[in-house]
Amino acid sequence: MTEHPWHDDQRLFADLSDAIREAADGLGSIGEFGRGAYAWRTIDEDLLVASLSFDSSLEPVPEQRSSPAEARVMAFTAAPLSVELEVTPDRIVGQIIPPGPAEIRVEMAGEVTVRIEADDAGFFQLSRAVRGPLRLRCETASARLVTEWVPL
Amino acid sequence: MDDGGNPITWLVDAATAGDELAWQEIVNRYSPLLASVIRSFRLSPAETQDIAQTVWLRLVEHLAGLREPRALPTWIITTSKREALRYVSNRRRTVPHDPLAPSRLDTAAEDVGPDVDLLRAEQHEALLAGLAELPPRQRELLILLAEDPPLSYAEISRRTGTPVGSIGPTRGRALERLRQTVAFRDFLARPPGQAGPLGSAAGRGLDQPGQG
Repeated sequence: MTEHPWHDDQRLFADLSDAIREAADGLGSIGEFGRGAYAWRTIDEDLLVASLSFDSSLEPVPEQRSSPAEARVMAFTAAPLSVELEVTPDRIVGQIIPPGPAEIRVEMAGEVTVRIEADDAGFFQLSRAVRGPLRLRCETASARLVTEWVPL
Repeated sequence: MDDGGNPITWLVDAATAGDELAWQEIVNRYSPLLASVIRSFRLSPAETQDIAQTVWLRLVEHLAGLREPRALPTWIITTSKREALRYVSNRRRTVPHDPLAPSRLDTAAEDVGPDVDLLRAEQHEALLAGLAELPPRQRELLILLAEDPPLSYAEISRRTGTPVGSIGPTRGRALERLRQTVAFRDFLARPPGQAGPLGSAAGRGLDQPGQG
């Protein structure tokens, strides 16, 4: 087996320097986001964590048929409670499953948290455009759930 | 932190237990790796930042499950690639398809060819994951030495407190230590282009959809 070029200091350092320099672009803000993220740490053992179980943006689409106004549909599941979201450019509508009233906090990293309520049928909506990472905390009569972070 | 157990495992345990300084240290060490992985998808600065922020936010909630030296870089690479692919896929469905116009991604991939690109991306991941395992002083010195245009040894000495005459030998020791890191040894232990624990599964998906 021939020796890998990285056993030579000059070759290793040249490749390492390339890697470091190429990663340097935008590194400052990536580090800032990282430091800010810890403030969102959840310390709550009774909380259900709902992972993203369906995302329409990952479904295959036929090449010819793409409509810009198409809504993105996502489902977060954590038995016995789930949330479905439909995201369009100017609003978010959602459904708690099983249907029922809920208190919802829409958490947006770097922004204020918005409180909304799901009606008796479990329906809720947020009439505004949102971008950047977001997650929902939902509290029903029987369970509490937090979704994974998703970037919108 | 130079001796004893793996420093990454220690940092993950401490950050899981609520030590914010340990978390900051994880962020300092792994930001270059995260930046490098996302960068390879050639997204816009805003998209790159959204992905980076999402990965960190998720990592905060997943730390407890990453108490093994390989687990953290592997998780960062896998998660950031999955999120980047989501953006690529979103773009594909929102940009009207014109069969005559090469997409931005196609053009990017033709720069040097997918295989060269992929191998290079894998090398960078291994090098930056290895760099993250080094003690802070060695890591800082290598990063300063990599600056372009290069800094003078006098300037590096001023910033690090390392005497000018020790910079060369310290660099040598840092590189030797880099070769001993988990990330580095894993990379060299497998044939080139073949994604391992730190491999480019999602990167492959970009060039060869359906074979992932």
